[in-house]
Amino acid sequence: MAKTAKIEVKDQDLLGSLRGFFRSLLEKGELQAVMVPQHLPMKNTVMPTLVTDPEKINGADPLAPVFPINAAKVVSKLTRRPLGGQVAAVLRPCEIRAFIELVKLKQGSMEDVVLVGVDCYGAYSNDNYPRFVGDEGAASTIRFYQNVTSGKGTAYEDFDISPACKACEYPVPDNADLLIGLVGVETSDHLLVKANTPKGEELLGRLGLPSGQEAAERAKAIEALVAERIAYRDQMFDETSHATADIQKLTSYLANCVNCYNCRVACPVCYCKECVFVTDVFDHEPMQYLRWARRKGIIKMPTDTVFYHITRLAHMSTACIGCGQCSNACPNNIPVMEIFRTVANYTQKAFDYQAGRSVEDEPPLSVFREAEFRELTGGKD
Amino acid sequence: MKKKIGSALVVGAGISGIRSGLDLAEQGYQVTLIDKSPNLGGVLMQLDYQFPTDHCGMCRMLPLVERDASSQFCLRKGLFHENINIMFSTELVGLEGEPGKFQVTLRQRASMVDPTRCIGCGECSRVCPVDVPDEFNAGLTNRKAIYLPIPHNIPNTYVVDTASCTLCGECEKVCPTGAIDFGKDARGRFRILVVDDELVVRDSLKEWLEDEGFRVDMAESGEEALKRVASEDYNLMLLDIKMPGMDGVEVLKRSKDIRPEMPVVMMTAYATVETAVEAMKIGALDYLMKPFDPDTLVPLIVQLYQDIERAGEHQMEVGSVILAAGFDSYDPANGKNTYGYGTLPNVVTSVEFERILSGSGLFRGKLTRPSDGKEVKKIAWFQCVGSRDQQADADFCSSACCMFAIKEALLAKEKTNGQVDTTIFYMDMRTFGKDFQRYRDRAEKDHGVRFLRNRVHSVELAGEGGELKVVYADTQGERHEDVFDLVVLAAGQRPPSTTGALADTTGIELNQWGFCQTDPFLRSRSSREGIYVSGSFSGLRDISESVIQANSASLEASRLIHSKGGGLSEESVSETTFRDVSRETPEILVAICACGEALPSAADLDLLREGIQRQGSVKSVQVIDRICTQEGWNELEQMVKEHEVNRVLIASCMPYVYGPKLKDLGQAVGLHPRLMDVVDIRTRIFPGHNGDKKEVARDMGAVIAMGLGRLRGMDPMPVPQIRVIQKALVVGGGIAGMTAALAIADHGFEVSLVEKSEHLGGNLRKLHRTIEGVSPQELLEETIARVEKHPKIQVFKKARVIHSQGRVGRFLTTIEKEDGGSEILRHGVSVLATGAREAKAQSYEYGKSEAIVTQHELEQKMADGAVDPKNLRAVAMIQCVGSREEPRNYCSRVCCATSLKNALYFKEQNPALEVYIYYRDMMTYGFLESYYTQARKAGVIFIQYDSDRKPAVAVDDGKPKISAMDPILGRELTLEADLLVLATGMEPAENNELAELFGIEINQDGFFQEAEYKWRPVDSIKEGVFLAGIAHSPRSVAESIAMGHAAAQRSLRILSSEYIAAGQIVAEVRHSICSLCEKCVSACPYGARMLDEEEGKIIVDELMCQGCGSCAAVCPNSASVLRGYRDQQVFEVIDAALEVML
Repeated sequence: MAKTAKIEVKDQDLLGSLRGFFRSLLEKGELQAVMVPQHLPMKNTVMPTLVTDPEKINGADPLAPVFPINAAKVVSKLTRRPLGGQVAAVLRPCEIRAFIELVKLKQGSMEDVVLVGVDCYGAYSNDNYPRFVGDEGAASTIRFYQNVTSGKGTAYEDFDISPACKACEYPVPDNADLLIGLVGVETSDHLLVKANTPKGEELLGRLGLPSGQEAAERAKAIEALVAERIAYRDQMFDETSHATADIQKLTSYLANCVNCYNCRVACPVCYCKECVFVTDVFDHEPMQYLRWARRKGIIKMPTDTVFYHITRLAHMSTACIGCGQCSNACPNNIPVMEIFRTVANYTQKAFDYQAGRSVEDEPPLSVFREAEFRELTGGKD
Repeated sequence: MKKKIGSALVVGAGISGIRSGLDLAEQGYQVTLIDKSPNLGGVLMQLDYQFPTDHCGMCRMLPLVERDASSQFCLRKGLFHENINIMFSTELVGLEGEPGKFQVTLRQRASMVDPTRCIGCGECSRVCPVDVPDEFNAGLTNRKAIYLPIPHNIPNTYVVDTASCTLCGECEKVCPTGAIDFGKDARGRFRILVVDDELVVRDSLKEWLEDEGFRVDMAESGEEALKRVASEDYNLMLLDIKMPGMDGVEVLKRSKDIRPEMPVVMMTAYATVETAVEAMKIGALDYLMKPFDPDTLVPLIVQLYQDIERAGEHQMEVGSVILAAGFDSYDPANGKNTYGYGTLPNVVTSVEFERILSGSGLFRGKLTRPSDGKEVKKIAWFQCVGSRDQQADADFCSSACCMFAIKEALLAKEKTNGQVDTTIFYMDMRTFGKDFQRYRDRAEKDHGVRFLRNRVHSVELAGEGGELKVVYADTQGERHEDVFDLVVLAAGQRPPSTTGALADTTGIELNQWGFCQTDPFLRSRSSREGIYVSGSFSGLRDISESVIQANSASLEASRLIHSKGGGLSEESVSETTFRDVSRETPEILVAICACGEALPSAADLDLLREGIQRQGSVKSVQVIDRICTQEGWNELEQMVKEHEVNRVLIASCMPYVYGPKLKDLGQAVGLHPRLMDVVDIRTRIFPGHNGDKKEVARDMGAVIAMGLGRLRGMDPMPVPQIRVIQKALVVGGGIAGMTAALAIADHGFEVSLVEKSEHLGGNLRKLHRTIEGVSPQELLEETIARVEKHPKIQVFKKARVIHSQGRVGRFLTTIEKEDGGSEILRHGVSVLATGAREAKAQSYEYGKSEAIVTQHELEQKMADGAVDPKNLRAVAMIQCVGSREEPRNYCSRVCCATSLKNALYFKEQNPALEVYIYYRDMMTYGFLESYYTQARKAGVIFIQYDSDRKPAVAVDDGKPKISAMDPILGRELTLEADLLVLATGMEPAENNELAELFGIEINQDGFFQEAEYKWRPVDSIKEGVFLAGIAHSPRSVAESIAMGHAAAQRSLRILSSEYIAAGQIVAEVRHSICSLCEKCVSACPYGARMLDEEEGKIIVDELMCQGCGSCAAVCPNSASVLRGYRDQQVFEVIDAALEVML
């Protein structure tokens, strides 16, 4: 049974209470630093910050409906080699799941980090968020949150949260060391804090928070939210499968791609130092282009566009956690997330694998199973 | 590749022959490997899958280091090695000289097909009118007289079975490459003298033989014959035995004085057959039976002609001879109880069953009933057919059949998704090897294989579809019946048919069953020095044991050759310096083999040439006729020089055979062989594959373009080499460790032998007598003395290993010595032989009475006289105490023999003494079976029990009372014994720590884990660390010695040279783009990659890397690459394959 506690919310000040909690992490948690998204003073946006001074945590806003980058990459930078002390990282569920994949790829370590996850109602794209936030800063977050809890939904003017978030069936970070619960919680009164791991319990013990219970309504509320998202997701799978059903359709699906590789830069699990597509492997002999052109009479330039996406699918779809940063990063509005999640749905099922679930799960291709894919091996093991 | 001046002959190219041959070749000796059959692999070629993996894995015998010296593809398809000359259809017919310097004579049967010209197209087979049973499918299908002995061989050369060939000559006419030659033209020069007093015989023979093109003279009497022999030069004399005046035998004797080399064949009527046989002893080649029928006689004489005239005799000098002649399968049709074999189609032998099951067999892998082709639903295996059967002159166990049957049952289950019903009828299930017992348990419990301890009485036809009614009696004698679709007879092993001749030629002794007689402790030594025995030719063993035995034989051979000076000097292999082409743009010569008229008539050559010319980097396209001939090859060499190209692509047939040729060409033109490649365009126009000439040209063009794609990006680099520390470390001073140490030291390499106790000798110190009645103490003393005096061996007693690091060729190991100080040893290989101990007894009231002892305790008590058989009335022995059940679910292999040894000794000393042995399965495998028979004859009572109904022991007044159910009487029996001996078996010593230090694995029972049970039984998972003796698995003294030899042999492969080379194709890391995700480390099946934490780099052990490419496949951004298979090359190959260029 997980240990639970609560953060009391005074004067309806949700963010204030959270900031108080983060401060206490620094003050009582025996931590070197806390990594948390904050409104940047110079600009109306929210970015991960690494904070050591409790006084510099006043702009913290983990509820803001935006995450310009998937912070798993930043946590990976912090933990690739020994850090010399513990840090708490406040993350969205998809960021935690991406980080778990990176740890398995030896690009980070759980050793020096306590993962603090916050329930997530979704986020707008980097394009749309500035329109949503206007000049309001943190106040817009409360607006968003009130819209959601009051049943008004997430849509604003002519846009909504990103398709990735709409299709996300993991709004609750069950694999965080410490979970901050909002869904199905009476947030006018308190926030739920739940320790899922011994490491989380230890930290929670040091904070001296009042004890609290996980309300029965929470499970129901989560179930309803997940059901809604799964419905959206499955429809998305369907539509995407149709839209990419053969090589012609796939080519036209990806036709806008300009080989900028932003999607791979934004992807939290694409971990190569240098993508193979920017190495000499793809420095074709000039004569090669002519040969290709000769074969069909015409080829699109630059080449290797579909090849690039297929390669990335082959390499990373089993590790795809569906955060949607690829689509967010695409300058030409290609629905990259949609095809990735659709393919990942197949590949992860094939290996009986769920990306980001747990560091204990061995990633596909690193384990050898004697009996699998018998339909492909002609019945032999 | 290293080359030494010593050489050896290996007779038999089955598994053990290949193993011995490769062993010696890897050490640098020149090996001639011969086999009487036309193919490699022996019986294993017919078996697709082997226990315990139920897969194949034969290729694991191929060299791991210096691997480019050898072929690196499926060993079932063929073998090449720089230092091995393989000769098929060849027998050893003469051996003279002395150890270290034998002159051997080999006779190779005429093949009629020139293997250098045959391209395996099969035109010949299609026109052959003959149909005879195909040996490959165990006679279940037919083949032609010109045929492929193995359908998947590389190169796949046709051979003529001269015994069934009618010499019609059709194949000779259709062969597109002129590879077949029956030599009719030469027959006119072959002179035959027919000697017979009957005119009609002379005349008809002359007529028939002249029709065949021979030149025939006649003589009507012995006197006339001798006159002619004296004056004319005949190649063959056909000589009647019964003639007036001088008879045939006399003529034979005298003619031998005149012309000793002239072959003589006797002609005889039935009455004088014995005389003919006598005549063969004084020099006749053969005899022919009258009356003659031209249809049978003429082919016989033609075959004689082929044998005499065309068989090649080869003479050579070798240092040692290894006999690996294997075994023959018992033919159940010859037995007293045939179980319907030979008459009922659904009764088959186990090898036939393999062919029924095999994907390359007659039913293409579908489990089918031979009688009517219906699906098989129920199968019975009968064990011990022709084994453990004194009526079949087989008072021995064939050792392998029990596991063979279980494996077949499991394969049948797998093929049918568990649907087939399987029953094994047996006497004892002999699951005595490592992990055998668990395999059996799994078969029974998880897969539902039924095991019935019953002997079958008879098999009869039970239905129109060929169903079989099996009648059997259970242990209590009750009769049962059951109906099966298929009955599989576990036909036992017999000495090969050629054993007698081989023994005559080599002068070795055979044992009473006709297997090679060996030394009781040194199983690879025959009765003649310099001639060693490999594999099952010394009797009855499975693959794993055969491989160990093969290593042992090659070790002994190498030791002998070395002692005679053949292993010492290493020939310097001159390294050619090749032109550096790395800065030149690729310029390729494409040479297309026309193969006579074959290519021009099938493909549009102009179109092909034009298409290739358009490909990038092609400097010239040349069509050469028959590149495989010397003229063709010379032309090619000329063109390479003329066009000054820096890459060569040959488009012809059989790319695999070009390896050595390309090396020669490389030397001749100064171009690295890696810059030349061969692609196969010939298969495209094999019979049945033709198309219109343009289409054929297009297909060939794609193949050539793919070759060009790969060749363009080829980057020859020097092969990585590492310097070897030519010293060995042996841990454990028992008999296995000492044997290994001596074997290595005898080759002149330094050995450090580390023993934890104060004495050498280990468990053998406790053993005073073997079952054969020999004392091992003499052997032990001699061995210890040799070890302690050996100038190359340094013994550390009361010492232990505390640290070890490094990899094959270069280890640094720290030992703690007796005085507490430590020493660092530098060595190239490690042999772990740390032994095991007798397991402690924990049941059957052990400890409650002095009269209850373990086997070791009994041995000691008998040695010091505390137990005297003369004072005993009754002795009981319980087998499998605490073993063959979890957690020690393995057979300790020696306890049954030990109990028999003691029982026989008791009976000999005191015949009135009652001996009772409670057993589960008597594990008297191999020739041990005869002691089991002896014991029963001597009156020892054997009472079988099952693990769920063990005997009960109570102690009454200090005496043990044993109660158990007697399965034969069907009731509980209680008896009182003066002595109860518990066979507790062995358990490993603390192997864990050592395993961790050396980076190897242990199995669930704590024994060292080998790299592969069957094919690499003494290798650990880490190259350079070898395992010997009972630290690996329970085994007898002789078996431990063999393993000590084997570990030494595997070590010498590495120690024999100052440098060892990796392969050309090895993996590399592009560190600058490597993200250190370590995916490649876990993907590497050879443990050749690791993360160097200090450097922050992935490093590749180039010697261990086998070039499989798994690392390159898992690496997402090609930071891990494989030489010769870079992405760009592979892209180009794929592009070329997809591109229709013409």
